[in-house]
Amino acid sequence: MWCSYACNSAEHGISRRGFFASAAASALSLGSFIRPAFTRELNKQQKRVLMIWLHGGVSQLETWDPKPGTATGGPFQTIATSVPGIHICELLPYTAKIMHHLALVRGLNTAEDDHGKGAYIMHTGRRQEPAMKWPHFGSVCAKLLGDSDNPLPGYIHITPRGNGGVNSQDAAFLGPRYASVALSDGHAPANLDRPAALTQVADQQRHEFRMHANERFLSSRRTAQTEAYTHSYDQAAQLMRRRDLFDISKEPPAVIDRYGRHDFGRHCLMARRLLEGGATFVKVMHTNYDTHHENFDFHIEQLGEFDRPFATLMDDLHDRGLLSSTLVLVLSEFGRTPRINRNFGRDHWSKAWSIALAGCGIKGGSVSGKTNADGTAVTDRQVNGGHLFHTYLSALGFNSKKNFYVEQRPIPIADPKASPIKEVLA
Amino acid sequence: MNPAPTPKIDPAKTHLLKDYKHGSPLFGCRFDPSGQFVFAGAQDNNIVRWNLDNGKKTLLTGHKSWVRALAFAAKEKLLFTGDYAGRILAWPAGDDAPKPARTIEAHRGWVRALAVSPDGKMLASCGNDHLVKLWSIPNGELIRELAGHACHVYNVAFHPGGTHLISADLKGVVKVWDVAKGEAERELDAKILYKYDSSFLADHGGVRSMVFSPDGSLLACAGITNVSNAFAGVGNPLIVLFDYKSGKQKQLLRPKAPFQGTAWGVIVHPAGFIAGVGGGNGGVLWFWKPDNAQDFFNLKLPNNARDLDLHRDGKRLAVAFFDGAVRTYSMEAPLKGSAAGK
Amino acid sequence: MLPYRTRLGSPLAFCLFTFAPAFAFAEAPLHERIDQAIAAAQPDFAHHAAGPASDAEFLRRIYLDLIGTIPTAAESRAFLRDSSPVKRQTLIDRLLASPEHARHLATVLDVMLMERRRDKYVPHAQWLEFLRSSVAANKPWDQLVREILTSDGADSKTRPAAKFYLEREAEPNLLTRDISRLFLGTNLQCCQCHDHPRIDDYKQAHYYGLFAFLNRSSLIVDQKLKMAVLSEKADGEVTFQSVFDPAKVTKSTGPRLPEAPPIKEPAVEKGKEYLTAPAPKARAVPRFSRRALLGPSLARADNEQFKRNIANRLWALMMGRGLVHPLDLDHSANPPSHPELLKLLADDIAARKFDMRGFLRELALSQTYQRSSEQSSLSKEPEAASYTVALLKPLTPEQLAWSLMQATGLTDAEREALGKKANEAALYARLSANKAPFVRTFGNPPGQAQEFDARLDQALFLANGSIVRGWLAPRPGNLIDRLTRLTNTDALAEELYLSVFTRLPSAEERKEAANFLASRSKDRLAALQDMAWALLASAEFRFNH
Repeated sequence: MWCSYACNSAEHGISRRGFFASAAASALSLGSFIRPAFTRELNKQQKRVLMIWLHGGVSQLETWDPKPGTATGGPFQTIATSVPGIHICELLPYTAKIMHHLALVRGLNTAEDDHGKGAYIMHTGRRQEPAMKWPHFGSVCAKLLGDSDNPLPGYIHITPRGNGGVNSQDAAFLGPRYASVALSDGHAPANLDRPAALTQVADQQRHEFRMHANERFLSSRRTAQTEAYTHSYDQAAQLMRRRDLFDISKEPPAVIDRYGRHDFGRHCLMARRLLEGGATFVKVMHTNYDTHHENFDFHIEQLGEFDRPFATLMDDLHDRGLLSSTLVLVLSEFGRTPRINRNFGRDHWSKAWSIALAGCGIKGGSVSGKTNADGTAVTDRQVNGGHLFHTYLSALGFNSKKNFYVEQRPIPIADPKASPIKEVLA
Repeated sequence: MNPAPTPKIDPAKTHLLKDYKHGSPLFGCRFDPSGQFVFAGAQDNNIVRWNLDNGKKTLLTGHKSWVRALAFAAKEKLLFTGDYAGRILAWPAGDDAPKPARTIEAHRGWVRALAVSPDGKMLASCGNDHLVKLWSIPNGELIRELAGHACHVYNVAFHPGGTHLISADLKGVVKVWDVAKGEAERELDAKILYKYDSSFLADHGGVRSMVFSPDGSLLACAGITNVSNAFAGVGNPLIVLFDYKSGKQKQLLRPKAPFQGTAWGVIVHPAGFIAGVGGGNGGVLWFWKPDNAQDFFNLKLPNNARDLDLHRDGKRLAVAFFDGAVRTYSMEAPLKGSAAGK
Repeated sequence: MLPYRTRLGSPLAFCLFTFAPAFAFAEAPLHERIDQAIAAAQPDFAHHAAGPASDAEFLRRIYLDLIGTIPTAAESRAFLRDSSPVKRQTLIDRLLASPEHARHLATVLDVMLMERRRDKYVPHAQWLEFLRSSVAANKPWDQLVREILTSDGADSKTRPAAKFYLEREAEPNLLTRDISRLFLGTNLQCCQCHDHPRIDDYKQAHYYGLFAFLNRSSLIVDQKLKMAVLSEKADGEVTFQSVFDPAKVTKSTGPRLPEAPPIKEPAVEKGKEYLTAPAPKARAVPRFSRRALLGPSLARADNEQFKRNIANRLWALMMGRGLVHPLDLDHSANPPSHPELLKLLADDIAARKFDMRGFLRELALSQTYQRSSEQSSLSKEPEAASYTVALLKPLTPEQLAWSLMQATGLTDAEREALGKKANEAALYARLSANKAPFVRTFGNPPGQAQEFDARLDQALFLANGSIVRGWLAPRPGNLIDRLTRLTNTDALAEELYLSVFTRLPSAEERKEAANFLASRSKDRLAALQDMAWALLASAEFRFNH
């Protein structure tokens, strides 16, 4: 039977008194469901998250869990990495050199072969439920790690194309403030530029007139909502001043070359600029890996594009001392079938696949989980999306068993049926 | 010995001759120059050799990756095979249990095709490192590196005249090289076999098979066109037939009946017709005449076909299949009144 | 002004109510009894209560609440000049009878019921038209709900009403949750797995009683009808276990409203269970439909929760906060701020046969509604649930879009362009597409209730976006055009403040406007645009106050 355990009671380990105390506290923070004490605990250290999303379902056999020389292995060889004993697919030579930063989870069974539902699990740590929407990890981080004075959106999603703008449903009950803001093809958020016809002086003058009008009105009608509204203009102005963060042409050409002059390279470079500039959560999407046809040719092409910018970004984060406080996730909606189909393709496969983690709170060079010889089943340390969510939260230093409070309900941040994967935690 | 009755080649009478089974999906296939064997590369990294007469199967084990590229040096009785790992092995093709006689670390990335020059002295290879390379068959040394392609090179073929080498890439760029000078002389346009799929943000297509007519006047390039979904392989097979001299497209050969998939193999028969096989949504063998875009005959195949070769006798075709079999087909009309030969 | 104040009551009257026993004036009209109840709830009410809203404050508020936009400058001038003692009542009645009101309330109901789910099965325009014509005809709420809960989508005449079911994919858990939230004011979601651990009133049996009306139904794309419709089986009993029950006792329930007796189901002869038997890709129609009983069982005057819910929701619409808050957590541990008042309102709306228009009229006539939003002291935000001061309501995305169109004069210009053909429907057809970017930028995510959130992307949209900027370009009849033709800065300031803020500028504001223009004499047009923008982007415009 389905149960979200969304309504934790004493039986779920939350005392009645604790609930009421926290509900009262949450009522004080306008629109904020988190107990302030918890928020402070999380904000002690500046931490951030980089998520690389390999859209379409990257093959675990052509990346983190190769099985060369078997019927399912495909044509590629493995290569040694910077960690003795860990081999990955030859399509990732640059990544192999930074293996000591990475942890592999090779025992993933998410049991969901549909793109949308698989993506949902990997973004929210839960399976879809008809009457409950869960927030993306990016929204959770925007909420838990974000700083309300930071003008950068808390959850930035760099997509290769599509519409830019706010995807308000990503944040679910956390509220649209924590939703992802898509930067289509790495373009800055919409409306960040002052209209061409408006001079800076005139812009300043009209804002002064606005603020003056506000003062008069708010002298007798100030509320939390009016404060939030007037503050949003200050934030907008701050973001306009930091417009350069979205402009990679400010980087030296040699740096741009190092990342590669293609979409993913440029987007990784932008991710670095944003993370350095104080962004809380940056997701970079690389597409596409849905290789039902010609899996091998397409993985040569796509991973050929992925490998170097990813490793370069990791190196840069490390060199700048940011990697230890940046949790890095390399995810996909699922893996691909060990069986190679008649069109040299691999199909959707969620029963036994892998992801990679790095950075903040992650034990570099570690591996959790194992699959059998031909990669068709997990044989050791099987985990699902819930475990991953606990692991991410733990890596960031949070107690992953904590709750969000939505109106009167405590809602476990991570699925209470799962727990962190300790083997990959530092 | 009485001369055998002259065979009458009639593609419309094409029928299955023999089924040679292997346990792993097959990839590329070639008859050897002696006409005694058929060789095929398998997804288990083996090369499989069958004796056409008695069906005896021999495994050539040595590659650590898949092999689609197969070419023979008739004089040396060597089979050259190229794999995904960039390695070329040379095998004494007729030995009872062939062992690699030579290993060439030829390319960075997949060796997609091999070709032996008409004089038997040079081996040409091409691969994912965007390069074409020429090797000396007698001593295995690199003669020349032909750089100029901007993407994976999918195929190479020598012109029967021997002075020129043709290479073709993923994006349908076909280059004509002067072998002696090592320079690209001109380009032919087979870009119709390429598509950048803007929804998946990936390149798809390429010249999957390439062959000259025996007289060198025609060049056939096989692949996929009309790609609407690269990642599901939604597109149609196409063979681009070039008039070699002018470099112009002479004909675009398409299946008459709709078929979804790729043309994986093509041959030009000395009698002037063209045969091709396709795989995708099943498999089909088509026959065209150069002056007609639509096939004049086709034969439905049991599953996805992945390569095609013509036997030196001009009568037999070999097709490599996904289901692990090489099947031979005869284009010979059974002789009237005879007991159909042997 | 004076006669009006006298009629609505002086501070003395407030004091009297304080000491009067509740409902001493039982026969008084509802709006008076509302004011009595609100005043009675706080011992020193008069001391805390704000005075009545000014005419301008009232005018802007009543327009936004009843027709979803602000008035034109001409309408404002006329109202402010009107000396009739009953002008507020006259205006309320005029607005409630207007086609704009039907459109506005239909939009409010749409957002409430569909929560901006994306169109998949029923085009939004058809659904909105169903709601609009229902409101225009003042269709009683219970009837509207019955129509929504009864349509299976197969009959083209009633198909729009099936949007509620269809866009939720007829998923019975989702429907149980949303029907309990939206029609009963009780969010039973937590009771799917067990009795609510903290809300004693919410039982797992309640959840599954509602669920049992719906679990035999499913969405099917009917091959013959070539569209998605509801199909229903003739069997399928509902059983449930509590996840907290160590004994794992399985209970069962038939269709049943919370706290209502079980519904008697007719015995159907074996073999004759279906009018249309189940078949692949065709909808099944049982002889006895449980789902068909849901509307008639739920939308009834004797269903306490049903009438409390609608009374509370309409109250929140006008007053800015539900007596029960949040709107879908009506239970004994979260009592209404004014329990007797909610009971009074619930009984009243049922007694007036769920006449929403009449009910809204009473709310609008109350002093509680017509109180000023100005706080006497900013040191302490007044307790929202006390209704001593009118609450600020952020404009909905639709209100914001329509008000910006009106304030910038886009609406005036379009009305002018339409000439004699200018009526509500024609204007709506010309302008309604302009709402979309506002809904996208300011609206709630699909499937979630609208909540206020001020974000920087919204500020950027208003500050730098091309839409509002485009509306500030001069065009015959629009605000900037009118302002450019005024040379007298005093008259200009009046036109500007009336158009944007629905009020006249103060002397100080007139001076500021003059100074602003004087400082920018070289780029007067840009100065006018910048000044107008500054007012449009101010908090006074963003909120209904």
